[in-house]
Amino acid sequence: MSPFEFAWRSLSRQPARAVLGLTGVAVVGALLFDMLMLSRGLIVSFRDLLESTGFDVRVTATEALPGMGPPVADAASTTEELRRLPELAAVVPARFGVASIDTRNGKTAPVAFIGSETRRRGEWKLVEGADLGDDADGGRPEVVVNRTFAREERLAPGSIVRLPSALPAREFRVSGIVEFPFETAGERMAAVTLRGFAYAFPSARRDEADLLLVASQPGAGSEAAVAAIRRTRPDLHAFSIEEVLERLRHAEFSYFRQVSFVLATIASFFALLLVTTLLTVSVNQRLGEVAALRALGFSRRRITFDLLAESALLVGGGGLVAIPLGLLLARGLDSILRRMPDLPTRLHFFVFEPRALALHAGFLVLAALVAAAYPVALAARLPIAATLRKESVS
Amino acid sequence: MSAPVAIVEARGVGKVYPMPAGPVEALRDVSLTVEPGDYVAISGPSGCGKSTLLHLLGCVDTPSAGSLLFEGCPVLAMGEEERSRIRLRRIGFVFQRFYLLPMLTAWENVELVQSEAGRPAAERRARTRELLEYVGLGERAGHRPSQLSGGEMQRVAIARALANRPGLVLADEPTGELDDETGEQIGDLFDRVNADGTTIVVVTHNPALAARARRRLAMRSGRLADSPAMARP
Repeated sequence: MSPFEFAWRSLSRQPARAVLGLTGVAVVGALLFDMLMLSRGLIVSFRDLLESTGFDVRVTATEALPGMGPPVADAASTTEELRRLPELAAVVPARFGVASIDTRNGKTAPVAFIGSETRRRGEWKLVEGADLGDDADGGRPEVVVNRTFAREERLAPGSIVRLPSALPAREFRVSGIVEFPFETAGERMAAVTLRGFAYAFPSARRDEADLLLVASQPGAGSEAAVAAIRRTRPDLHAFSIEEVLERLRHAEFSYFRQVSFVLATIASFFALLLVTTLLTVSVNQRLGEVAALRALGFSRRRITFDLLAESALLVGGGGLVAIPLGLLLARGLDSILRRMPDLPTRLHFFVFEPRALALHAGFLVLAALVAAAYPVALAARLPIAATLRKESVS
Repeated sequence: MSAPVAIVEARGVGKVYPMPAGPVEALRDVSLTVEPGDYVAISGPSGCGKSTLLHLLGCVDTPSAGSLLFEGCPVLAMGEEERSRIRLRRIGFVFQRFYLLPMLTAWENVELVQSEAGRPAAERRARTRELLEYVGLGERAGHRPSQLSGGEMQRVAIARALANRPGLVLADEPTGELDDETGEQIGDLFDRVNADGTTIVVVTHNPALAARARRRLAMRSGRLADSPAMARP
């Protein structure tokens, strides 16, 4: 009979204890699994968002985040200069602005505008109608709007969007409904061409860009693209996605990493405590039995393996149940955390990745080993004769 | 032709337990030789050192003084693993409280020690069947200890003790938890085991069980009071 078979029988001998142990490990395991997903969830999710645009390098005038610092001057010539670099596949200037519109219910509401060239990669995703044109004809410039904007103002392709904030009021024709990677819940967003942006914001200085979106050549990679930009224009600040994420990891997202670290540590500790307690109580209840097995010739190693197997079954079984439980719990927690204001709707706090699963398994294996250490020592060092004597007297 | 080696031979054996209030001398200068085929009963009042002597003879514990040979090999020179191996393959234990594993059936309890000794599955099956028939529990093989009576549990424990064909069976108060009639049945079984060639040393308070042994030893205050060799009719 293998140690695992033996351990299984030991557990099934006391089903209430086994169920209690498995449930406890499943609950703390689910929390641990969630914390492992949270520790990198924002980074993984943010990387997905950044990559979904199709651009792997961002260029700004200063180290400030795009839109937060001064714009890049001479945007057109800078764009042309960068486009000549062989490491770069595409360079797209982008502008950001906020305009007010008159809503259907007579109030004013802000709309976040992006000024860019016609879509080349994944700046936005067309879900209805047509994409932005080149504003070649002399009619109203075209605009693409997000679903929130379209729903709340009942816009459809062909509708007119009027911006009373500019004087005289400006009008745009909706060409399509789109989805922006970074749009937040309830936020009205729109994208126009650079010419359309100048039309919407007549007071904004021409030939500036808040951000240059850069796609590296597939063979070169983003690091080479960043190096080439820094070499050519040391006055600009180029960031690869990894560099952007590194900044976020050490600044904006560090809070969640710390919280997840603390909670993961607490969860591991409780898993350990629970399994240690269950096994220790179980060994204490069976001291006579263990001593008898040792007297019958069962080696210390065999007793150790039996207890390790029992610990592994408790932690392994609980750990397996913890995965679907953790995923379910993560969905609930994610939906709560995502209610925080100004977060992109596509950003997630809890993201499943194989690494989290591997770490979860690793932590639990470690917990099973450590949890079994004390009861194993108790059983393996049991003085056989003294225990048998004590048991027969009692 | 050389004389057969004694199963176990104790010479001037002593055992001292260190206690917080001072050392307790459980055995003093005990000498005893158990030959192959012997049936020895050790009796005496509680706390006189019977079980301690049994544990020394069974290589469960080591003496504080004197020498102890198991099948000619000095027990004190053996490591813990080696003593475990000897207990598994050469000694069978029968306890007062049976100590059958409650989650295993009678069959599995008997098979477990053979499995631990690395016996092949086919050999284990045949031996387990043979032993359960031998102790009269062939029909109860699939029953767990909780489904057996005290006498039946002790018979399974005896089958387990015989599973690895040991040279020596040690029994510590094997009838202590049983009524007189069941104790008699267990006594009959021990007689049969001994008649079939297995050496038995039994520690007991039960005079009827002790009377079955060919050698009856009395212990008092850690010493063997006498060791008359008695042939049973």
